[in-house]
Amino acid sequence: MTERKSAAFFRAEGVILSRGVMAASAYLAGNAQRLGERALRLGFVALTAPVHGLLGQNDRTLATRLANLAFRNMTEDRIAELSEEYARDILEDSVLDQGRELVKRSRKQGHRIVLLSDNLASIMEPLCERLGIFDDLVCNRLEFRDGRATGKLLDPVVGGHGSGRWIRDYADQHDIDLGRSVAYGGHGPDLLMLSAVGNPCAVNPDYTLRRSAREADWPIVEYRE
Amino acid sequence: MSKISIRQAYRDRHVLVTGASGFLGKVWLVMMLDHIPEVGRIYVLIRPKARMPARKRFEKMVATSPAFKPLHEKYGPKLGEFLASKVEVVEGDIGTPGLGIDPELLPRLQRDLDLVINCAGLVDFDPDLRDAVLTNVLGTRNVGDFLESCDHAKLLHISTCYVTGTRNGTIAETLLPNFSPDGSDFEVDRELDDIEQTIAKLIEKNQSPKHMERHRKKALKKIRERKLDPENATLMRTMTRRAQRDALKDTMIKEGQRRSYKYGWPNIYTFTKSMAESVLIKRADKLKFAVLRPAIVESALNYPFQGWNQGFNTCGPLSYLLGSWFRHLPVRNGNPFDIIPVDYVCRGMTIAGAELMLDIASPVYQCGSSDINQLTIDRACDLVALAHRRHLRERGKSTMERVLLSRWDAVPSEPEHLLSVENIRKAAKGVTKLMRKVPRKWPKGMREQTDKWADKAEDVKDKLNTIDRLLTLYLPFIHDNYFVFECAALRRNQIEEAAFVFDTTAIDWRHYWLDVHVPGLRKWCFPLFEGKTPEKYQPDHPFKLPPPTPAPAEIRPAAEA
Repeated sequence: MTERKSAAFFRAEGVILSRGVMAASAYLAGNAQRLGERALRLGFVALTAPVHGLLGQNDRTLATRLANLAFRNMTEDRIAELSEEYARDILEDSVLDQGRELVKRSRKQGHRIVLLSDNLASIMEPLCERLGIFDDLVCNRLEFRDGRATGKLLDPVVGGHGSGRWIRDYADQHDIDLGRSVAYGGHGPDLLMLSAVGNPCAVNPDYTLRRSAREADWPIVEYRE
Repeated sequence: MSKISIRQAYRDRHVLVTGASGFLGKVWLVMMLDHIPEVGRIYVLIRPKARMPARKRFEKMVATSPAFKPLHEKYGPKLGEFLASKVEVVEGDIGTPGLGIDPELLPRLQRDLDLVINCAGLVDFDPDLRDAVLTNVLGTRNVGDFLESCDHAKLLHISTCYVTGTRNGTIAETLLPNFSPDGSDFEVDRELDDIEQTIAKLIEKNQSPKHMERHRKKALKKIRERKLDPENATLMRTMTRRAQRDALKDTMIKEGQRRSYKYGWPNIYTFTKSMAESVLIKRADKLKFAVLRPAIVESALNYPFQGWNQGFNTCGPLSYLLGSWFRHLPVRNGNPFDIIPVDYVCRGMTIAGAELMLDIASPVYQCGSSDINQLTIDRACDLVALAHRRHLRERGKSTMERVLLSRWDAVPSEPEHLLSVENIRKAAKGVTKLMRKVPRKWPKGMREQTDKWADKAEDVKDKLNTIDRLLTLYLPFIHDNYFVFECAALRRNQIEEAAFVFDTTAIDWRHYWLDVHVPGLRKWCFPLFEGKTPEKYQPDHPFKLPPPTPAPAEIRPAAEA
């Protein structure tokens, strides 16, 4: 009987990337077609920032949904082009070296490398293509109708506690042994994802995750400047 | 639906093409020679120029035009040999009866030709009426006469979808005799006679003593403006002649526009192209022909290579404008903008030609994208803005371009927008007036400064006038009318060779505008707007056309379909 595969699950924000989802939202909103539209959309993103901050250590789904409402009625062309630009010019520079090291180590250990991100697919797909170090990507997708964004995210929305359930489904589909798999997360909402695998690891954890990691005796990695 | 093999249809067939030095004709010629080397012989009708015979013109075209790149790459030093075996340059001019073809060559062409493709045309929107009628209408009539004298040749005439004028809605693939967009009484021969008489009258008027005096006054004014010697008789004569010529041209343009608007065409180009169709329809009993109507022909999607474009064509000036500080483009959101890459049009021409030779042709082939892969004008505006943004962010000449202009996106707006050209022009006029009326008691330095500002405002006003003229030309296509062109005839039959399949759903508009069309315009067309020369093509092996070889003279039975 052949041995089942194992995977390494990485949360992008905080583990691989130093920038979060709000920066991407602000970039896209601030580069809308009309000048007035830019101000309005940016204002909307700014209003959702406190929600994101408040829910940051629990469930971020609501905040992510709100932030993406700022793209309502923006064209798919513009979102695709700006996303590629953001991935190439900004996000690529914010890839953390320590994060790359963790990926390399996991690769050496023979894990399938899976990246989970709250960001939009239009941003993460070109980034992953450029980095070329991930086997699979799971991220959020905007809904489009007649070439324009409705502002809604397609379900399931990445960023909440759903990652735990998602990781089990993923393991079933790809015949992955979760007991031998590893996961790296940095925020409270990653708790269920980390607890689903045999080898969880908290990276630069926030208060909620740090407390839980200590209680569960999970390793904690702190990136140094 | 029948299955057609394009290679089979053209095998050993002889084709004459006019307008091969134009954007469309050139790409078609290269595509044909590259993909269908089985074709019998291609006769290229080229007009000789003052110091360059047709053969030399063709040789120069092959040696320097980037469109011939695929052939240079395929045949290398043997290209001359290949072309000599396949192509025969025919000196002639469609504006001349009998096409100006050498009488010695004429019988051979009349006997051998299977297909004539008439690509020649004057594509400026509002040219001198005399030139437009000569090339687009009388030229087509001459081609028709020539076809009638041929043994079995059929004609594929290249027209434009926009012959529909201001008739809105879904435009079917039909040929209507003596068509006028507003349905008013129109008869092409009567109109041609009338135009001829009017032109003669206008020329006579232009030469009348009263008008000659006006030309002389204009010439004198120019001489004085340029600080030249008004006593110089030769100079005076030359300048007067020039003023007379310019005045006549303006009159002819105005007359052409008046006639076009009268029947519902937006410009002289579409008016004369529609007249040409009417000329052909009148001969339907004597001629076997089909009309191919392309929509807005733009940069190549793939062939001869991605982004190839030539000259000042169709929406190039608009795209150029949207890369400047000009922002508010008057368009009607949701209106289709029927762009079709030149290689798709050439596929369409090849299919239509094959079907003509196989006797299964449709009378009209419309060649556009609006029916099954519609691009709207507002989407095109957004894509142009994004393409300029990409270029300026990466390769802007100054910080201003990289940081500000790249983010200064063009936006669709209504013609009455607060920042419309008209309103900005009024503001500029106001500023000029105000600055010129500064009280004399103001200090000299301040008066000099206000004078400078007034000069700048004058410059802005001049630029706005140019933009206004441009927008007036394009408004019927981007704002006033709503057209969807039915293009079913080109998809009616199944094509065996993938290189000729006409499937516009395969065009991804985002990729086309961002990666193909606007970069192509930047490389091949924008330098022309800026008075620069676009990049020259230098093949690896210098090209020389070998002396002509004797053409096949035998009479062949018509090939089996």
